[in-house]
Amino acid sequence: MLFFSFFKTLTNQTVTIELKNDIRIRGTLKSVDQYLNIKLDNVDVLDLDKYPHLSSVKNMFIRGSVVRYVMLPRSEVDIGLLEDATRREAANQAGKAK
Amino acid sequence: MSFFGFDTTLPRDRAAPSERRGIFETPDPFAEVARARAAGFQGGDDDDDEVIDFEDTYDGLGDQLDDDQDAFNDDTFGDDLGAPPVGKDFDFFGKTAQVADAIGEEQIRYSLQKPRAPPAAAVTADIAADPAVTAAAGKPKRTGYEKYSDPGYIPDLQAKSSVWGVQKKQDPTPFMMAQAQAQAQAQAQAQAQAQAQAQAQAQAQAQAQAQAQAKKMLSLEEVEAQLRRYPSALPGQVPVSLPQSMPEPAHPLQRAQMPPLPEGFAQLPPELLHAQFAKGVPPPAQLLHQPPMVPEPYPLAPHAPNMPMHLLQNANMPPQHMGPPQRQMMPPGGPRAQQQQPPPPPQNMRGNNAQLPVITNPQQLMHLSEEQRVAYLMEDAKRAKRNHKIFLLSKGNGLMTPQDKNFITRIQLQQLVAAAGNVVDSDSEAVLAEDFYYQVYSQIRGAPRQHPHQPLGHFAQTYLLQTGNRLGGHGNRRQFQNADNHMQRMQQQVQRAVEAAKAKPKNKQLIIEGSLGKISFGNAKAPKPMLNLKRPESSEGGKSFKKPQTDLSLSDRKSILTNIESVYSTLMEMEDMERTMPPPPDENDPEAIQKHMEWRQNVRSLNQKLWRELKVMEPIVPNTNTPHPFIAFLSYPKGKKAIPRIFRHIDQEQRVTILTMIVVHLDTLDVVRRAQPVPGETQPSLAVREAIDLFSQTVMPSLLGYVNEAPFNIIIGLLGLVIAQTHVQLVAKTRIGLGILTMLLSRAEIVKEADQASERDWQQWVEKFNVLFDTLEPTFADLFPSSINAGDDMYVWQFLAAVGIGASPDQQQRLVIAVKDRVMETVTYSKTLPADMASQRLGNVNLFMRAIGLDVELLG
Repeated sequence: MLFFSFFKTLTNQTVTIELKNDIRIRGTLKSVDQYLNIKLDNVDVLDLDKYPHLSSVKNMFIRGSVVRYVMLPRSEVDIGLLEDATRREAANQAGKAK
Repeated sequence: MSFFGFDTTLPRDRAAPSERRGIFETPDPFAEVARARAAGFQGGDDDDDEVIDFEDTYDGLGDQLDDDQDAFNDDTFGDDLGAPPVGKDFDFFGKTAQVADAIGEEQIRYSLQKPRAPPAAAVTADIAADPAVTAAAGKPKRTGYEKYSDPGYIPDLQAKSSVWGVQKKQDPTPFMMAQAQAQAQAQAQAQAQAQAQAQAQAQAQAQAQAQAQAKKMLSLEEVEAQLRRYPSALPGQVPVSLPQSMPEPAHPLQRAQMPPLPEGFAQLPPELLHAQFAKGVPPPAQLLHQPPMVPEPYPLAPHAPNMPMHLLQNANMPPQHMGPPQRQMMPPGGPRAQQQQPPPPPQNMRGNNAQLPVITNPQQLMHLSEEQRVAYLMEDAKRAKRNHKIFLLSKGNGLMTPQDKNFITRIQLQQLVAAAGNVVDSDSEAVLAEDFYYQVYSQIRGAPRQHPHQPLGHFAQTYLLQTGNRLGGHGNRRQFQNADNHMQRMQQQVQRAVEAAKAKPKNKQLIIEGSLGKISFGNAKAPKPMLNLKRPESSEGGKSFKKPQTDLSLSDRKSILTNIESVYSTLMEMEDMERTMPPPPDENDPEAIQKHMEWRQNVRSLNQKLWRELKVMEPIVPNTNTPHPFIAFLSYPKGKKAIPRIFRHIDQEQRVTILTMIVVHLDTLDVVRRAQPVPGETQPSLAVREAIDLFSQTVMPSLLGYVNEAPFNIIIGLLGLVIAQTHVQLVAKTRIGLGILTMLLSRAEIVKEADQASERDWQQWVEKFNVLFDTLEPTFADLFPSSINAGDDMYVWQFLAAVGIGASPDQQQRLVIAVKDRVMETVTYSKTLPADMASQRLGNVNLFMRAIGLDVELLG
């Protein structure tokens, strides 16, 4: 649940999402769910001339499994906290695996 | 001999025929019956049912009877034979008691008798009074209403004079006989009022005999009191008794059909009885003819007063069942209007009801027109049907209190919890475990928490609210007090259940009983495992660094990183402990003190663990290539970042140990060792600079924080260590090295100014300082970064200032001479810089100049 937890803190931030088909979309992150499906608002497609069919799309729901990268605003990430959260997650996983 | 081995020799008269008969000779089964019947008719009422002769079967038990023991016969049968003659004030109870025995005997015999046999003379006087009934008794199918088929028939009205008069009318009808066996058992439980009517009932008394004798000594008042304790009952399946006993409280048969109920159910009987009445209401045709002999109010009337109870009872039922009782309230309305017009078709029940007259006195029925009467009776039949329905639906009413229901719910929830596996202690814990980053981040940054524990918590809340309403709705007084407590427990339960449901199900396999396979299941969080591998415990990596003595492997990257991680996990544990610190214990609360002690114990052990993992106490091995594990720890950014957190959890002694360790290894510290710029470069590589920055941001403040409080002798000791153990000149050329030296020097100065240093200590310090000064004097000019524009040189000026303050005037002069060039250079250089940068550079220089009592301004 670490990523879910992490992405939740990024709601209402502007993120850029690169899909597995190379489309890059910038928009406001509205919500994330446990599958890391993403709802984007005020969408901007970065290479719009390549994907003209997306020019009229204003918001979208992206299935989590098609996301390659999510580019985040650095200032919104608390790295120390994220490190600790990662440690906890790892400990949890280790505990569950046993 | 019989083919089946039966002993056929017993009855003398049958021996001969059976011997005559062959196996295949079919016996005539009815011949015997016929014979027995004939014998029975002749043999009198004693054994008319028997197939065989009395003499053949008599076992002689009667001979064993002791005829002497008649002493208590009077007690048993009553000796008050001089009772007043039977009249209107007939001593019902007394008489019953007198003949109780006989009744019992008769009862057994009677119930076994063939219907056609004349009724036994148990209650002979009463029965004889009504020849019609006697005659009727012979036909089992008769209902007992035959005599009423004549509209003009008016029975003896004296029956109404008193409820006790009932016995005059009561008689054992065949209908009752049929039920006698079944009811006998139930009647055994009947109370004294049952006994009071035993004479009339003449049933099942043998079984109840013991009881009857025990109770027969009750006075009439007592019996009446008992009767009143039970709500008024309406007649049930005994049509004959209907006219007289309708208003009478507690019909024995009806009492008998209900098991004794606990106190809490006091409201139940009327409901049941009503319904039973509904079931047993006689067909309309018979009702029609009854009224004349029923002067008491018609059954409808008793209904009305009972309404509130009805409603109360029905509150447990779904709303649609509320209808009938309400409608029952209607009949009393609109008697006048009805008289004139015939009843409309029954599609509108309410209207229909309203237009029918209120029959309070059954005699009224007689004055109604035929149509009205039919309508009325139809109404009545419908009502009866409805009541019956209500009864069927309400059988279980009130058997479970809301508390009981809650209890059941809790059991179910408990099972749910148990099935789902382990239970997470508290809500926040679970949330923190699952959603750590988000929760903490939200707390730190105040991010909007749109839905804190949204999905499940919400669900639980809704559920609980619902329950609360239901409880508040009609919990009775007793339950009201417990309701809150109950709710809390429920809430806890639900929360635990929800948590458990959230948690990964521990038992991932379901084995259905009797089946051969297993069903494994999963969910999004814990997918169904395709392989079930057990991880051997020993393969965990933790073993290698448990050895007290560290070997070479510690120097390699992986083990160092592992060390750092273990330190971090311990740190997080400690931070968790801090969060769960129990409140300061109250002197009077041993439990709290105990808790606190345990907590402290835990903290202590964690501290020890952390200390071990830091490996500060590893022996220092001189002249090796392998850095000390703690120094290796510090060479990673992660390790550096851990220091501030570690310092929060360790005591002063441990801090000074760490500081000492760092000082001793100052020249092997990565930020010192690698800080020397490679020849040809003006400054160290970017990575090193970053490391230095990080070190000065993380480790230095922690050390400074300690040093600022450290006692003077420790400062002296540390300075001595720097001089003795490290290449001071080398160390002093680095920022970190200089920083630590500055730290020590400035602390000493502060101690001196505060007059806290003893003379001896100060002497020691001055000695050490002189050594340091002498060592560094040749390199003072080289402390600066090589080029004037290489960047920040403030730390050097700070160090020089610290040296300058502590130095003797002679030393100060040597110092000025050593750095004079740099001062002049900087002043000149600053003139080429923008104003703000220039003032910054000059400020740095001035820091030093003022320390030795000068000012850059003097330099012009």
